[in-house]
Amino acid sequence: MKTIAKKDVKALLSLWTKEYHVLAPCRTARGDFIFADFSEESFTLDYKKPPLPPKSVFLPHTEVIFTVENGQFKETVTAHNVVLFGIRSCDMMGILQCTSFMTRDRNDIYYSTKNAMARTVVMACPGPQNETCFCTTTFSGPVAHKGFDLLFYDMGESFIIQTGSKRGEDILMSGPLSDIDNAVARRKIEAFTKQAVENIPVVDEITEAMTRLESGNVDEKIWEHFGQKCIVCGGCAFVCPTCTCFNVYDHESSPGHGIRARAWDACLYGGFTREASGHNPRATQASRLQRRHEHKLLYYNDTDVQGGLCGCVGCGRCSDYCPVRIGTLEVAKALVSN
Amino acid sequence: MARTPSICPFCGCGCEFYLASHGGRVVGIEPSPSNPVNKGMLCAKGWNAYEFIHSPDRLTKPLVRKHGTLVESSWEEALKTVAGKLTEIKSQYGPRALAFLSSAKVTNEENYLFMKMARAVFGTNNVDHCARL
Amino acid sequence: MTNSINEFEDADLFLVTGSNTTAQHPLIGSRIINAKERGAKLLLIDPRAIQFAQFADLHLRQNIGTDVAVLNGMMNIIIEENLYDRTFVEERTEGFDQLKSVTSRYTPRVVERISGISAADLEKAARMYATSDKAMLVYCMGITQHTTGTDNVKSCANLAMLTGHIGRPSTGVNPLRGQNNVQGACDMGALPNVYSGYQPVTDTAIKKKFEDAWGVQVLDDKVGLTVTEMMIAVRKEEIKSLYIMGENPMMSDPDTSHIDHALSHLEFLVVQDIFLSETAAKADVVLPAASFAEKEGTFTNTERRVQISKKAVPPPGLARPDWEIICEVSRLAGYAMDYTSPADIMREINTLTPSYAGITYRRLEQSYGIQWPCPNEEHPGTPYLHRDRFTKGRGTFLPCDFKPVAEVPDEEYDFLLTTGRIYYHYHTGTMTRRISILEREAPVPMIEINPEDAKRLSIKNNDTVEITSRRGVIKARAEVTGRVPRKVVFSTFHFHEAPVNLLTNPALDPLAKIPEYKGCAVKVRRCV
Repeated sequence: MKTIAKKDVKALLSLWTKEYHVLAPCRTARGDFIFADFSEESFTLDYKKPPLPPKSVFLPHTEVIFTVENGQFKETVTAHNVVLFGIRSCDMMGILQCTSFMTRDRNDIYYSTKNAMARTVVMACPGPQNETCFCTTTFSGPVAHKGFDLLFYDMGESFIIQTGSKRGEDILMSGPLSDIDNAVARRKIEAFTKQAVENIPVVDEITEAMTRLESGNVDEKIWEHFGQKCIVCGGCAFVCPTCTCFNVYDHESSPGHGIRARAWDACLYGGFTREASGHNPRATQASRLQRRHEHKLLYYNDTDVQGGLCGCVGCGRCSDYCPVRIGTLEVAKALVSN
Repeated sequence: MARTPSICPFCGCGCEFYLASHGGRVVGIEPSPSNPVNKGMLCAKGWNAYEFIHSPDRLTKPLVRKHGTLVESSWEEALKTVAGKLTEIKSQYGPRALAFLSSAKVTNEENYLFMKMARAVFGTNNVDHCARL
Repeated sequence: MTNSINEFEDADLFLVTGSNTTAQHPLIGSRIINAKERGAKLLLIDPRAIQFAQFADLHLRQNIGTDVAVLNGMMNIIIEENLYDRTFVEERTEGFDQLKSVTSRYTPRVVERISGISAADLEKAARMYATSDKAMLVYCMGITQHTTGTDNVKSCANLAMLTGHIGRPSTGVNPLRGQNNVQGACDMGALPNVYSGYQPVTDTAIKKKFEDAWGVQVLDDKVGLTVTEMMIAVRKEEIKSLYIMGENPMMSDPDTSHIDHALSHLEFLVVQDIFLSETAAKADVVLPAASFAEKEGTFTNTERRVQISKKAVPPPGLARPDWEIICEVSRLAGYAMDYTSPADIMREINTLTPSYAGITYRRLEQSYGIQWPCPNEEHPGTPYLHRDRFTKGRGTFLPCDFKPVAEVPDEEYDFLLTTGRIYYHYHTGTMTRRISILEREAPVPMIEINPEDAKRLSIKNNDTVEITSRRGVIKARAEVTGRVPRKVVFSTFHFHEAPVNLLTNPALDPLAKIPEYKGCAVKVRRCV
């Protein structure tokens, strides 16, 4: 296996920028942590999970999907050779969930083309990254099991790098790397993982909430309570690594000319399910919240991406970025509280 | 994909977000995670504040009314018409015959310059905006 | 706002009046909801049962336009029951005796007759507010958009001073500003009576300072006209030309058929905007401007926080940033404006505006904004105002008497129409109605009507109804809801299909010149 000194990571990423569009954690002048184009000045290894998950690279918040000129349409599939550096294990699982959905019965070329051209470099978590994450409960971390091209383990002054694919090996062909004995590396990784799992306790409420939802043993008033205070921002869907719903809109610049674009949509908006007649099968905010959380904790069980688990990867963003604290964690706790 | 810090164009909360852009188009919005006003959160208007930027209805050329209809013109013609006509009205009727409506949606610098133009260039205090509306 | 947004997280009680906070300032509304969950109290005074009504410990639904009576009534109880902050009143205020004498006339019974609020509820409200340690008073246009708007605001301030709920963290009088730079537009002197930083145009020394700095001798020392007065002056042909930057009075001003008529009187109308708004369509010259995403500059939020916003994409076609256009017009009119950037303009603002003196781009680039007043580059900014003293020294109580709305309902026009915004749209809709998701959420103009009234008029949900005032008529779809009380209908000014300001009353508050958007007499019928 390979290792790299922490101080040399910048050099490795700089090297990659010659061939790839490198997206990496950066700290802005004001102090925000976001993922942006790699730059030596703002790059940091001491970062927090940004609000947007990596799905935003493959399914941008909004993108033009075709243009129309003289009445003729032309698909616009844009994709680049991208390296996603430093994403967390939960987000890697989020990518796998999205990819499974976007390619399952029909191939979404806009998504899959971008996804196919991306290299993922996962940073294993030594402990929780925020107060609200619970990947050991959802089998999505702290160490990625699959899908990654490279996986970095933090060993203090250096990283041990595990390769997950041929493409991962390829981008490690050069750079300021050293070799480490495989057996030694494996022992270190094992110790790292054991400690990390201990640092991130399983949240029993999540599993119990799932059981309760499955058995229908749920107090309906909970949904009304949350529905009452939801301010309908849609943010929980936008920051969720596994939400893929989108809306389409057209911009006609002149007759026969224009674009069609798509944009993230959220199931908590009333218009998401309103029918043309005006009837809305999910008429209340309570019913929308109920469906959303059942979707995350119950209905996904047939897919096998995440060990047959659910649509939640335990990243905690919906709790961190909900203005009125209606995240998966809070909902699960409420579901099991009586 | 560039990320540019920006302030939400709607209410007075002043939430900060990054505009993700690519090829001259805004392709997304990411709330600033640490700004003390919004802490990584936005409302429905803020999360969706991108689409109108590229609306085909955007004005892209100056328009000047000729024979009753607005027709496209050059900047030079439009600006000369504005400066000339305002100067003419000022000299004919006095500065108080001019009035200027500034905007609660443009920047501080632009509000400052607009009131400076009304006062220093055209000599009138008839300058206001729609704080009341 | 006298205080800051994050101080909402520590308050013990919120008195919210005339603000649909979760819809119009969602990131402030959410803080109040969270505070409720940790045990803070919410006292809501609003005729409509907005989302907050579900959380309120007490919701007073006063008759429209009776705010002064309600607030006076609360103060009367607070004084009678000796619940006011005696130390604060003695040390920091003046005019208590006048306040006492005016408010003493507003006994619970009198207030009940005027406002419809029961004596018991009023007493409860007064005690709740007065006895809380940290109480924040929050208001918005429901307080100001009345012919008694100034009186309403003064009464809010009286109440806060009487109880000492000002000058400390998590207290204060907190008007929420409705547009992203309405605070900045005021701060920068886009007002007829002041230069930037609220420096009066009538002050000789101030005039001299600006004349010297700007290199002119022509500055007028008489106060100019407000927007509402401008429209009257236009009709009288005293104003011949109007230059409008980024505003849409054809949709936003009261009694718009008169505005339409007035604008046709102008010799010359210039509109600078990002869209061909209803107003721009009437212009002689239309100048295409850059949107917020296409330029650099600063915006000042409701808590006086000045923040920087950068250019993300180029403007479409030939559109240019407003500041560049202003420089060009000024240059062609014979006055050189040679700014190279917004930062360059800010340097001039720093030198001429004491409250902005220390707010430089260098600092803004590396911070999440600075709250004015900020007198120098070392000053950290000011999260809350009036800590040790009011700007003028002692705070003066300015008691007011109740006056009814200018146009009270009668037999023919038997409803009161109150107007505002809904969550999914913003102002005249030029931006939000061009956002598909928001337009999907609220695609048609609605009018809220109480179920009892609807039943009497045979109106069902989604029926098209006609609303008529003495000034105009619009059609909208009915939303039959208990959100509005009986004999009140509510609609919004977002929709050009049903421009509600055709109906509104141009009667103004005598001082602030704000129109009475929150109440005018209308009649309602179902369209067949």
